[in-house]
Amino acid sequence: MKTPHRFPCAGPRAGWNPNRRDFIYSLGASLGSVALTGMLANEASASSVNPMAPRPGHFPSKAKRCIFLMMEGGPSHIDTFDPKPKLKELHLKEFNRSGEQQSAMASGKRYFVESPFEFKKYGQGGADMATNWQHLSTVADHLCFYRGCQVESVNHPTAMYHMNTGNQFGGDPAIGSWVTYGLGSENQNLPGFVVLPEVSYPQGGAANWGKGYLPADFQGTPLRSSGSPILDLQPPKGITPEHQRKNLDLLARLNQKHAESHPGHQDLAARMANYELAFRMQMQVPDIIDIGKEDQRTREMYGVDGGDTDRFGRKCLLARRLIEKGVRFVQLYAGSWDSHDYIGRAHGNLVRQVDKPIAGLIQDLANRGLLDETLIVWCGEFGRSPDNGVRGGVAYGRDHNPKAMPMWIAGGGVNAGHTIGATDETGAEAVDVVHPLKNLHVTLLRLLGLDDNKLTYFHGGRFKQLSQVGGEVIPQLFG
Amino acid sequence: MLRFIILMELVLTFVLFLATSVVGAETLSKTDAEALFVLKVKPLLNSRCVVCHGKDGKIKGGLDLQTRDTMLKGGDSDLKSLVPGKPEESLIYIAATWANSDYEMPPKENDRLNEEDLTYLKQWIAAGAPWSEKSDSDFEGHNKWGAKEGLQVVTSGGLADDWTNRRYKQENLWAYQPVKRPVVPGGAGQHPVDAFIEMGLKTKGISPAKLADRRTLIRRATFDLIGLPPTPADVKAFLEDASDDLTAFSKVVDRLLASPHYGEQWGRHWLDVVRYADSSGFANDYERPHTWRYRDYVIRSFNKDKPYDQFIKEQIAGDEIDESDPEMLVATGFLRMGAWELTGMEVAKVARQRFLDDVTDSVGRVFLGHPLQCAKCHDHKFDPIPTRDYYRIQSVFKTTQFANRPAPFFEGENTNGFDEKRHLERRRMDHDDYLKDFAKMKEDAAREWYKERGLEYAPRNKLIAKGVPEDQIVPKGYGVDTLEFGLERIARKGLGRLEWEFDRYEPFAFSVYSGVTPERESVYSPIRMPKSRMKGGEFEKGAILSGGDPFSPTVAVKPGVLSMIPGSNDTIEKTSFNSIPETVDGRRLAFANWVASRENTLTTRSIVNRIWQYHFGQGIAGNPNNFGGMGKKPTHPELLDWLADEFVNKGWSIKSMHRLLMTSETYRRSSHHPHFGEVAVKDPEGVSYSVFKPRRMAAEELRDSMIAVTGELNPELGGIPSRPEINIEVALQPRQVMGTFASAWQPSPEPEHRHRRSIYTLKIRGLRDPFMEVFNQPSPEQSCEMRDASNVTPQVFSLLNGKVAYERSVALAIRLSNDTKGIHASIRRGYELVLNRPASEEEVEIAFNHWKEMKKSHSKLKIEPPVYPSKVVRDAVEENTGEPFRFEEKLHMYAEIDPDKSMADVDIDTRALADLCLVLFNSNEFAYIY
Repeated sequence: MKTPHRFPCAGPRAGWNPNRRDFIYSLGASLGSVALTGMLANEASASSVNPMAPRPGHFPSKAKRCIFLMMEGGPSHIDTFDPKPKLKELHLKEFNRSGEQQSAMASGKRYFVESPFEFKKYGQGGADMATNWQHLSTVADHLCFYRGCQVESVNHPTAMYHMNTGNQFGGDPAIGSWVTYGLGSENQNLPGFVVLPEVSYPQGGAANWGKGYLPADFQGTPLRSSGSPILDLQPPKGITPEHQRKNLDLLARLNQKHAESHPGHQDLAARMANYELAFRMQMQVPDIIDIGKEDQRTREMYGVDGGDTDRFGRKCLLARRLIEKGVRFVQLYAGSWDSHDYIGRAHGNLVRQVDKPIAGLIQDLANRGLLDETLIVWCGEFGRSPDNGVRGGVAYGRDHNPKAMPMWIAGGGVNAGHTIGATDETGAEAVDVVHPLKNLHVTLLRLLGLDDNKLTYFHGGRFKQLSQVGGEVIPQLFG
Repeated sequence: MLRFIILMELVLTFVLFLATSVVGAETLSKTDAEALFVLKVKPLLNSRCVVCHGKDGKIKGGLDLQTRDTMLKGGDSDLKSLVPGKPEESLIYIAATWANSDYEMPPKENDRLNEEDLTYLKQWIAAGAPWSEKSDSDFEGHNKWGAKEGLQVVTSGGLADDWTNRRYKQENLWAYQPVKRPVVPGGAGQHPVDAFIEMGLKTKGISPAKLADRRTLIRRATFDLIGLPPTPADVKAFLEDASDDLTAFSKVVDRLLASPHYGEQWGRHWLDVVRYADSSGFANDYERPHTWRYRDYVIRSFNKDKPYDQFIKEQIAGDEIDESDPEMLVATGFLRMGAWELTGMEVAKVARQRFLDDVTDSVGRVFLGHPLQCAKCHDHKFDPIPTRDYYRIQSVFKTTQFANRPAPFFEGENTNGFDEKRHLERRRMDHDDYLKDFAKMKEDAAREWYKERGLEYAPRNKLIAKGVPEDQIVPKGYGVDTLEFGLERIARKGLGRLEWEFDRYEPFAFSVYSGVTPERESVYSPIRMPKSRMKGGEFEKGAILSGGDPFSPTVAVKPGVLSMIPGSNDTIEKTSFNSIPETVDGRRLAFANWVASRENTLTTRSIVNRIWQYHFGQGIAGNPNNFGGMGKKPTHPELLDWLADEFVNKGWSIKSMHRLLMTSETYRRSSHHPHFGEVAVKDPEGVSYSVFKPRRMAAEELRDSMIAVTGELNPELGGIPSRPEINIEVALQPRQVMGTFASAWQPSPEPEHRHRRSIYTLKIRGLRDPFMEVFNQPSPEQSCEMRDASNVTPQVFSLLNGKVAYERSVALAIRLSNDTKGIHASIRRGYELVLNRPASEEEVEIAFNHWKEMKKSHSKLKIEPPVYPSKVVRDAVEENTGEPFRFEEKLHMYAEIDPDKSMADVDIDTRALADLCLVLFNSNEFAYIY
């Protein structure tokens, strides 16, 4: 077997169904398994297989880990990386949508609207970018833009679930869970899959980083930007570690005695170990995620300066710290990009908030020699329409569009410096190198050395996979 | 009649034959080799290979497997695809074995060839790989391996003949065979369950563990039946009962079955299966104001021991049974349990289809133990379910329409606590006030804009309607800054959301009716009954949808049932059992009658299997939601059938089934086996029932037990959802819903409303109580056949560090101090309440020393009381402007909270005792039920 986590299996009819026992009583969830091999290696006797142990993928790959920049709300391709001069001609000309698959959003009188942004070509690859991406444009040659992806849903939560889990209706494992399931994590003191959400959770909520039917170890752990980074990481204010240690000592004593009278009940040891592990994490996690430890120059690079870029800059900086520590998958949220009105103002502000932090992240990773080992993904859940309902003058925005969307990837193994695929002259629809979302999922997994068809989990009577039913790689995205 | 055409009896013989014949494979006669190709290899190529290698012009790797010539020619690889006579040199065989990681075909785990298939392929190549255009029927009966093994199943028909005529292994069809009551083995006087179990034990050569002691048994039974720990008085009464063990235990079981808390525990199991939630999920995640009445209906039904067949019929077709009975309307809430909404962003027909698919699959999973969704886009890959049947069943629901129907509250429902509405009213006032100010401000700005341009002021929409040119209309949102935009939206959308919440107190049922499908663009408020059920919409016709797409109907179908169930195939013979009317009304009732019949081979097995699972920690068939070929096979098929038959004989009574199971020795066995190591070797799967399987408490049991032993539990039954305290960071976590932010989770101000059983907790899909979540309460997105009991660190944080756990410890410490005199007595009482047993003298001593030590430690600690916010300041990004803004949400309920006692509220003696209680609540002995 190529990967230790894969299971001996004679094919679909074997009906093999992994259960808790196969994961040694499934130590550790998110932060979980952690120290069992790391910190507690010497004292823990119960652990024989650690579900979070790092392991090779199915293919050799440059990228070992992933930072996924999720621009929730549906950023516009037309106003970011896919200029549509034709819309200048068509501006405020009436637009008629046809077809039976029409939602109420698309009803009423509609107009084409031009982009309020100017575009230029950047880098040696001549990437099209709106000029307000002042910082990102300086690293344009690290990016591979892709214009061919199409999704199936025009509704935020279903489209978010689709992008994050491969299933529009939620409840399936997130891509970060799959990747961690496939590759384990390099650091046993932190969760393998960390999420840095916006202050307000996206539509669809925490199911966007849920583990679905995978074991609890692969759950995405949201790190909170204020308050306790992990829920209840600390006891109530005033309770000291020494005080708590005394309670834990008594607990260990009671549990030990209980275990002696229940030999053969194997869950007991795992649960006891978890308490010790939790106590250690309580001590260590706050330190690991403290970005105050970064020097001024670095903080400046990410725009961590108290201004507009501060919020997302902190997340990007934290993402770098986390992957440096060996976390496998970090997903960052920024938004909402759902600019139905005033797209100039709304997208303008959003771009300003993320532009410098993202450019800083890419540059910093490159400086540290980490960019080649990291896959970076930037996208939303869908794109936006070339047309809009009646708004009046500058108030126009754009509605949802599943047929075309902005996206770029960067880092290990990607076709950096190129723009792949194309949309039609108004940006209504992708027309070249068009692929359904599942193929993007297959491609992202492949870039991380994983084979979607092999990264499966037997559940509910079949081997399930991120792409749901299988898909193909998009070869043009590989460098 | 189910017609299995048996062409060969035993698959086993066949496999043995193959195993011995491979070596001499090349000795196959020409005819035999040809037959092998036609019967075995060709179908394999067609189903697994040509999709990528030949079909519709798709030729991956340059390899076309549609003809022998192209197969011989090979593809891009240097290796030869086919070397007749030499399977080990033929790439198609090498790849199919997955032995070489460079060539693994078919690439998907789900499509991999099994051992048998590989043998066919190998033999065929060895025999020279002959090709043939003959058909199956040319080889009927005379082939040396008996032509075909397995059974054919007559169904309403697949999309292709290949599928219709395909064969199934007998073992995969177990659930579709009529339930046959087997003769109970064993001697007279032996409990039937034990008799069946003993057979398996004998086969495995295992002797069972001895029976559990009374103390263990009462704890086990009490948790199983009511989800709460036994009280010290319950334990005492049972220990002191002079009757024999079985008689005494039977009394305990009867007492527990008569407890109103029984329905709460078993209702919870049912709600897991039907995916109960109090909100609609997805973008808006609107509250479902009346689902609580369905939840209570379930609890009542279990408490009343409503015959299960009736329980089924009411949930599928209560409105068609008697729409004048409010309870019948409430019962049909089942049909709408899946997440659903229709926003203006969505195509109405797609949303409608989402419901139809959801309900079709869920009647299968829930009542038949069989998911149907696999037959949505094609005939079922493994089971005899044609896609036609999927759409026949879907047609049953094509006239099912949503409505929150008028349904007066009735005797037996709990309508207490409606005065909590006042908190909502205050929120409404806040929103109204803001909107008034906003409108004024906006109008002032607009007037100014028109004035500057010398234009006449008029409301925007009037000007748009008149067709005034764009540049003469004030831009949308003119003069409004980010903050105002944000606040306006919050107020406007907040009012919209409140409408749903206010409906909670109104006499409506979350229900359905039969009629045409109304034209609807969006649903932003609770749906009411239409004026006419037959006007203003489409009478939906049944059809097979290509690829499951509602815009691609193909063949028309009529409403029907699963045709492979014996007696259910109306294409052979129409009977009252298998026919569904095509009228608007009555489809669901006819379908429900088919489900709730003893003739339905799935229904009765499904429910007794579920009951068994909740008692024994595993089903007799290990996947209660999947009795198909891919589900686990029953470990004790005869026992399952006997129970299914017995269940019906006893009037579909679930309580009788509990009595039956729980009085068996199998249930009463100890969870400790003196030779556990040996048992583990002889019974690695743990399916012999030689010992009782311990389990960790479910999330709800954990919380409910804590508030029960602290004395805080309000045992009231039913009623509007309760809101306990949850982790405050999650409670106040801003949560985006469509176009705005959902309001915070606020605990009920009154302790008695917070300390209800967990089944009454408001269950919002987008906001889960993290305590429940980490202890494996399933997400309501998918039907949960069995809960996990994982062991993960976040559980430690919740139970050891969380405010809720701390305060339960304080509450218990207060109770112990009040109930007893002196610390030693408090410790003893604590052990009895939490662990349901007396503490040993040694344990009392250890606990006492701990208490002294913690007192000393507390004297050095400074503990601050928790802070309850009256408002929360939120940072968000405004959607119109993309700029961050900050807003304040008033927390009317938090502001009024009558808080639980915290460490800060009690003296040092009690604090130290609370530490001990916290340790007990975290102990393994508390968490596990033996």
